[in-house]
Formats: sequence, structure tokens, C-alpha cells
Amino acid sequence: MALALGIAQLALTLYGRNVVIASAHEGVRAATELGRDIDDAEIIARRTTRSAAGSLVNDMEVIVGTRPEGEGLLVTVRITGRLESLGPVPVPVPIDVTATSRLPEEIE
Amino acid sequence: MRSNERGQALVESILLGIVLLVPVIWMLMLLADVHRAALASTAAVREAGFDASRSDDDAAAREAVHNAVRLALTNHGFDAGDARVSWSAPAGLTRGATVEVHVEYPVSVIRLPFLGDVGGPAVWVRSTHVARVDPFRSEP
Repeated sequence: MALALGIAQLALTLYGRNVVIASAHEGVRAATELGRDIDDAEIIARRTTRSAAGSLVNDMEVIVGTRPEGEGLLVTVRITGRLESLGPVPVPVPIDVTATSRLPEEIE
Repeated sequence: MRSNERGQALVESILLGIVLLVPVIWMLMLLADVHRAALASTAAVREAGFDASRSDDDAAAREAVHNAVRLALTNHGFDAGDARVSWSAPAGLTRGATVEVHVEYPVSVIRLPFLGDVGGPAVWVRSTHVARVDPFRSEP
């Protein structure tokens, strides 16, 4: 019984990690799309994580950073948090994911 | 039970558990990678189609597809060089035309501790997206 729950816990942990990775990418992609700005990155990253993983990810922090690169900006979205333990091993797993994208220079 | 057989059942259970547990965990890790590859490839084709449909010509569309796929796969932790990417715009990039993007990515089945991917068979994850050029956009 404990073994089965442990396997289920491992599966949920891996699923939560994949969701956070995908959310970071969605957020950084949103920041570079026409008609959106950097603030949208955090909103979309949070919304994507909550809708797909629910309470599986706690203490989530989304950090959006930019720095000049060439003729544009390099945008990074970093998501940190804890993947809750729902099985026999009562140890939450920390997660730290970063996604990057490039925002071209705006043409005036 | 003889004294020299005490604990034998426990030892056998532990050994059997390890033998059964290893393939189960391996299968879980593989499924997680396939799931991550599916998320990456669907994001790649969607964004590549979106960017290609907003391009002015074939060269710009080709570069847009390449960049979008590379970005999506890299952000998901994959090597974009392993992907097979193809795209087509049968009617060109005219108003209302469709752009189809197809991405295939191999998820390696055999992985070893500390060595990682050692080649061999792979599970191919495939995604396709059809985007449409804005029917009201200005001609370039």
C-alpha cells in the first residue's frame, strides 16, 4: 500500500514539475508577443500553473527579469516553489525553473 | 521454521520489491519525459504557426518557425537539434491562407545514471498545428 502511494506521489511530483516548466515558457512567451508587456508574463505563468496543477504547487514565486541583449531585450521568467507531498514521504520537493525569450527592439 | 531460515521471507520480499520497483520507476520517469515533450512540442508548433502566419515572406516564416521551435524546446529542457521540423503554406502567405507546422521529437527510452541518454530506441512525440494568416492584414 505504501509502495503504491509512493509511486503515485512520484508521478504527481513529476507532473507538477512539467506543469511549472510549461508555465514558465508560456509566461515568457506572453511577454514577447505583440500587444502584451512584461507584466503579462507573471500573470500568465501564475494562471497556467494554478489551472493545471492547482494546490500541487505552493509558495510559488514568479520573477520576471529583463536585460539588454543586442538590439532587443532578453526576458527571463523564473518560477520557484514547493511541490506538495501527497503521499507517504512527507517531504515537499523544491522546484526552480527558468525560461528565456527574446523581445525584439520596438520599431518607432 | 528452522533457525537458519528465519528472515528468509523478508529478504525475498525485499529483493522482489527491488526487482519490481526499478522498472516501475523507470517507466514513470519515461512517461514524465514523454509528457514534457508533448507539452514542448505542442507549444512549439502553436507558436511557430502563429509567428509564421504573421511573416511577410517564406524566408521570414522559415526563420520564425525555426526560432519558435528552438525556444519552446530549449525552455522545456530539450535539445532543439534533435527535433524534426517541417512547415508548409500551400497557398503562400496571403490573406486567409493556412500555415501548417509539424514537429517530431524523440524521447530516449534508455537512460543510465550519470551517463544520461545513451541512444537506442526512442518514443517519438509528434505535434501539428495549422494557423491561418490574418484575412484582414495589409499586404507587405
